[in-house]
Amino acid sequence: MNEPKVAILSLTVALLVPAPRGLAAQIVSKFEAGQYSVSDGVLPASTIRLAPTFQFEMPHARISARGSAFLSDQQLQIADGIVSGTFTSPTVYGVRAEMIGNASRAVDERSLGTDQVDVQTRVHVLFRQNGGVWLGGGVARPWRIAVVSSADVTDAGAWAKVGEPTATFGVATLTTTFTNFSFSKIASVHDTSSASLSCSTAAPMVAVSSEMRALLSESTGVSACERQSHFSDLEAALRWEVGALELSAQMGHRFGDSYDVTPDSRRWTSATATIWLTDRVAIIGGGGRQPALPLRGLPARSFGMAGLEIAYSPISKTAVPVSLPHAVLVRNFETRPAANGMQKIIIRVGGVEAVDVMGDFSDWSPLTLTRRGRDLWELALPLSPGMHQINVRVDGGPWMPPPGMPTMRDAFNGEVGLLVVNRDRGSH
Amino acid sequence: MRSRRFPATALVVRRAAALTLRAATFVVCAATTLRAQDTEPDRLARLDQNSRITIQILLDSAEAAGLPARALRSIALEGVSKKADSRAIVSAVRQEFTLLRTARATLGPVDPEELTAAAALLRAGAKPAQLASFRVRQKGRSDLQAFTIWADLITRGVPSEDASSAITKLWEDGADDATFVSLWNNVQSDILRGLNPGTALQNRIRETPGRPPATKGPPEGQQENERSE
Repeated sequence: MNEPKVAILSLTVALLVPAPRGLAAQIVSKFEAGQYSVSDGVLPASTIRLAPTFQFEMPHARISARGSAFLSDQQLQIADGIVSGTFTSPTVYGVRAEMIGNASRAVDERSLGTDQVDVQTRVHVLFRQNGGVWLGGGVARPWRIAVVSSADVTDAGAWAKVGEPTATFGVATLTTTFTNFSFSKIASVHDTSSASLSCSTAAPMVAVSSEMRALLSESTGVSACERQSHFSDLEAALRWEVGALELSAQMGHRFGDSYDVTPDSRRWTSATATIWLTDRVAIIGGGGRQPALPLRGLPARSFGMAGLEIAYSPISKTAVPVSLPHAVLVRNFETRPAANGMQKIIIRVGGVEAVDVMGDFSDWSPLTLTRRGRDLWELALPLSPGMHQINVRVDGGPWMPPPGMPTMRDAFNGEVGLLVVNRDRGSH
Repeated sequence: MRSRRFPATALVVRRAAALTLRAATFVVCAATTLRAQDTEPDRLARLDQNSRITIQILLDSAEAAGLPARALRSIALEGVSKKADSRAIVSAVRQEFTLLRTARATLGPVDPEELTAAAALLRAGAKPAQLASFRVRQKGRSDLQAFTIWADLITRGVPSEDASSAITKLWEDGADDATFVSLWNNVQSDILRGLNPGTALQNRIRETPGRPPATKGPPEGQQENERSE
């Protein structure tokens, strides 16, 4: 167990090192540690769980890596790891394309562990930053799974921002997702419990790997063939962020015949609460039930967890895959003198993925701020003395004057903020 | 064949996935092409030829007149970024040229940043004659903050005359930047509480004492910005 310990320790240290400030893209990281309990399934009944996360963000791409390990019986063991890449096209007339790829490994004490690569594309239609619908499809290719050889995934979903965001109500997002899994399943030739079972003695044997066939034969004493299965998940999720409190809840139902869906995976509910003590430290607690993941060979389980999250630059918990709703609550805007005669623009806004400013100082080209905390965004600019006109936007929304500063009408029926930089480089 | 054993629903699902993949690829290609067009070096090239020529003439005229042409170009680029139509952009640039010329006629030969701020104030609704008090000032004293607060007050609905007299009074009393900012904060909070903007300013200006200039004694190097035109 030395190797996992060294790997986890190295990764943890690396993730907590601040990212270079001049980096064009953003590197954010967080580290979770806490108690994780399950009533059934493959994990030990109670574990200390460590979950470092690393994310590299660019305007139209995001690459992230996440791992988790648990400490049980004085043994540190890797539980899972995933590397993800998400690429989004620019939004044209409210439509954008998204491509998501994942490579992951799940390890547990009772099996060899499973690997999976999946790729999915989506067309996402956005409605004025307040909601959207998407339709997507893709393929997943698991390895070392005893019962599944490949899967086609089709999903569709809708999300909407609930109510008007205010300082009291915060931002709530409701998401509904329908996902259909259609996959080839390795089954016993004598298993005829399902009407859709295509495996019979008359059916030709397919190229099931010898390892899988041996595994199945060993357990059932019969030979194996391949059949087509499918099930569909309908899940509703609510995410609510108000002040330092973040709540998220999911509930879902799985459709499919009894051969493909076990009774304990028909319905599930879970909830998580996060309370941010500071910009970078939060307490997390939650629990519920997770459905089985046949594509990964993981059974259904009930869980409860409590932990602490320490983040260098916390990663937003995306309520909607890839895209977040647009929060217009820019809570604070200020400028401070920075090194080398620069001015640092500091904006506080939570629940968003991108913050831009533009003004006469940038020839009215958008400049993207860098996330420095949960809701803290910064940008250093060489602002010359004078009165500057400035606009800010979040997540590609409309350009607005920053809050808490004088404004005036611009020449195009909009409004701009007025920022004064004096000759001593102080700004108001 | 493996596909023969797939139920009809599975085939529909696979076709839907393939169709979605193609649609997504098309959107990516289209968006990338449009994006590439977005990153042209000269963004004024997006305007039609007549508008570009008119704007170039205005820029040249500004330079010839000693006005900050950069301010005019900035207005044009702002219009492009905010997706205004060409006619609106040309109109805004022409108006800015006029305002800069008016500001300089009123204030005299001041710095470009001061001239630009004064033009912005005129655009907000101040009258040229109301700027006359700012023609004379102590050396090193900046009127940028005063202009900024003044423009904001007009934007928030304070009558132009009231805003002018309040800011001018503070300026003549030697108020510093912090005093102007404090006045703005107080008026803003009163407006947010529902007070009429004009009334809010009147109430607050009474309790805002003018501060003496930071330099004591007779103003050294007091400069006259009078300009012979």
